[in-house]
Amino acid sequence: MDVSQYLEIFLDETNEHLQNLNTQILELESDPENMDNINEIFRAAHSLKGMAGTMGYKRMQNLTHDMENVFSEVRNGNIKVKPEMIDVLFQCLDALEEYKNNIQETSDEGTNDNENLIKALNDILNDGKTEEAPAAKEEAPTATAPAAESGADGGEKWNDIAFDDSQIRVIKEAMKQGKNVYGINVVVQESCILKAARAFLVFKAVEEKGEIIVSMPSAQDVEDEKFDKDFTLIVLSDYSLDDIIKSAESVSEIAQVTGAVLELEKTKNYHAEEEAIEPAEEKKEAVAEVKAAEQPKKEEKKPVAAAKAPEKKPANKPVVNRTVRVDIEKLDSLMNLVSELIIAKNSLVAASSNDQGNNSAFNEQIEYLENVTTNLHESVMKVRMVPIESVVVKFPRMIRDLSKKLDKKMELYMSGEETELDRTVVDEIGDPLMHLLRNSADHGLESAEVRAQRGKPEQGSIFLDAYQDGNNVVIEVRDDGNGIDVEAVKNKAIERNLVTTEQAANMSEKDIINLLFQPGFSTSEKVTDVSGRGVGLDVVKSKIESLSGEVEVKSKWGEGSTWTIRLPLTLAIIQALMVVVGGEKYAISLGSIQTIEDISPNDIKLVENKEVINLRGTVIPLIRLTEVLDVESTRSPEDNLIVVIVKKGDKMAGLVIDELIGQQEIVIKSLGKYIKQCKFISGATILGDGEVALILDANALL
Amino acid sequence: MEELSMKETLKAGDERKVEEDFFQYIVIRLGDEQYGIDIRYIDNIVRMQHITRVPKVPAYLKGVINLRGEVLPVMSLRVKMGLEADELTRATRIIILKQEQQGSVGIIVDEVREVVTLGSSEIEKLSQNTAESKKSFITGVGKHNGELISLLDLNSITLEENA
Repeated sequence: MDVSQYLEIFLDETNEHLQNLNTQILELESDPENMDNINEIFRAAHSLKGMAGTMGYKRMQNLTHDMENVFSEVRNGNIKVKPEMIDVLFQCLDALEEYKNNIQETSDEGTNDNENLIKALNDILNDGKTEEAPAAKEEAPTATAPAAESGADGGEKWNDIAFDDSQIRVIKEAMKQGKNVYGINVVVQESCILKAARAFLVFKAVEEKGEIIVSMPSAQDVEDEKFDKDFTLIVLSDYSLDDIIKSAESVSEIAQVTGAVLELEKTKNYHAEEEAIEPAEEKKEAVAEVKAAEQPKKEEKKPVAAAKAPEKKPANKPVVNRTVRVDIEKLDSLMNLVSELIIAKNSLVAASSNDQGNNSAFNEQIEYLENVTTNLHESVMKVRMVPIESVVVKFPRMIRDLSKKLDKKMELYMSGEETELDRTVVDEIGDPLMHLLRNSADHGLESAEVRAQRGKPEQGSIFLDAYQDGNNVVIEVRDDGNGIDVEAVKNKAIERNLVTTEQAANMSEKDIINLLFQPGFSTSEKVTDVSGRGVGLDVVKSKIESLSGEVEVKSKWGEGSTWTIRLPLTLAIIQALMVVVGGEKYAISLGSIQTIEDISPNDIKLVENKEVINLRGTVIPLIRLTEVLDVESTRSPEDNLIVVIVKKGDKMAGLVIDELIGQQEIVIKSLGKYIKQCKFISGATILGDGEVALILDANALL
Repeated sequence: MEELSMKETLKAGDERKVEEDFFQYIVIRLGDEQYGIDIRYIDNIVRMQHITRVPKVPAYLKGVINLRGEVLPVMSLRVKMGLEADELTRATRIIILKQEQQGSVGIIVDEVREVVTLGSSEIEKLSQNTAESKKSFITGVGKHNGELISLLDLNSITLEENA
């Protein structure tokens, strides 16, 4: 069987099941008696086993099989869940993960048999179990609810099949030869994603025991997923009905299989034979699907070869799928095209405003185009957004392992997993978050004795919160541990020659804490394999900055620290305010702009020799962009100043500009590696007239 | 057959050329001097256009331009080589160089003259010593029709100097 076309789906599903198992086993650990959990785990293990078996990954199948056995016993109440067992199970999951990674890279599962794990599993089985042999193998998935529900309409569907002449001939012939003719109705579980693949496996399983002469819908349609949740087969076989039903049920995610001996008289159209529903051609395929080796009939022999072809032919599958997998590169190029379109649209806008033609129809169309491009851009952005859940979902397990390793009690509380971010950002954010969590677990949380002294609960808490804040997504990692020892940081920094003693004396607490982000800084006295190699925080910082984000830390000695990561929602296209400074055009991201103020030169005060303004009770420092950008202002000093108030976190500043142009949607282009010196230029954009304007990063100016 | 006859014609013309490598250079003018740029590194030659200044960069980096939707840095070859600043004329061109590591970059030249083919025998490599003694952007000198063409070392030109 050619399974390569299912490989991707297999990997996806395996991922899902593994993640599910991780989560469930974690829950099981805290609540060993929860039957729902155990059932869920059993189901996931069972599906994994089935999938691995189908794909021919024997080692993976063996391991999951043994896991399944253990769960089956747990479910039957023969084994109690013990902490050691949980450990073994987690190791099994790691091993499965490894198989999966091997398969992903080489489409081969590798050669690690994981015998020790299998042995450990069997030990668990033998320990907790009395004599009886594990009955797991015979076990069908426990989907009683859907089975019961579909039982009624699943009834005797085979009697609705309209046979045509040749089919009836075949059936009669078979009956004459003493073969059994059964009608079988197979109901697929509602949750099943790969209906076609499951159905295909049912076909295969049944064909081992007999010969499928008719299927409804046709075999081709079943393979194309053109069926709802059940299909009906007419089978010729020497085996008993039970045997066949059992082999069909052995396929995972099959909710129910019913069957009975077919009585031709009862079937519809028995006498009106010419009214066949299915075109003769399709029916032939169904017949031909059969492995005709042991069947002495002439009819099937010739179409066998012909039938193999349609089976493998890539089917056009328009019907059921509601999602499409798309290569991220294709999305990137789509995004680029949208960017180009927006640039072209901007040119049109510029052209129309230049010639003052007062052509209202033209302007209307441009506005319409503007509307469309904006919506198009939003849709493309949305397509690229994925919830951060896929990244954070592995953290509870990690914290559990750390808890064991570090011998500290801790719990991770997460919120906002559904917060969405650009796919590329989500892919990159995992490592930095992991660093921060490990940091919190290792350096942040105190040992049990210290916690008791401080009157804190023995169990440390780590929080991971994600939420959207304007144009940004904020992810916070918080712990109720030690907090940062500012003195220790200061001493370490002096010791490492990062700052001089005098410098350190003048530094604010915040500045000192920020030293943690310097390369090669680690305050942990001992190097553990969890953290403390001094490669953590500077990597975190540079990674997040490469995503155009920023990271901040707040800490209170003895009470804990909060790490705040702020990331932009979108990377490629932003709304910006266009301004003129010294005759040059610049763009400032609208996301960081609070207000635009008209300030009289008399309102400027000097504090510590720096210009500030008092804006509605808030003192805001002024930044003259002409000075920053080395240009001459085009305005006379007596004129009122145009000040753009920007905000970053709780810091504010007023940027003094010469002229306002207006708001515009701009496409961010990189300046290339060649120009990298200037920190406050975050990129460039191409204006409607083809000119390049630089984008000012207000955050870097603050 | 054809190959043979070709060899024969070559022999008849210039016997050395049979074993020679040939390189094509674009000849540009910078002030009164002629320079050659290896054609394999040239992506494009465009007319002078508006260059957007970028603040806080070395003086030789004139800014960025829009080349069909891409933003490219442009540098002044004159400033980089220590000559007086560019005089923009109708002949001024920007040559876009393909660079593996740093991405494309444009250089401003006074004029683009022609494409010449030089055999390795017509190229005189500069010895390492002269190259080291003074910061040099020249890899060698080519002789063509009695004129000398200084061959530019694109690596040392586009290499960033943080001095």
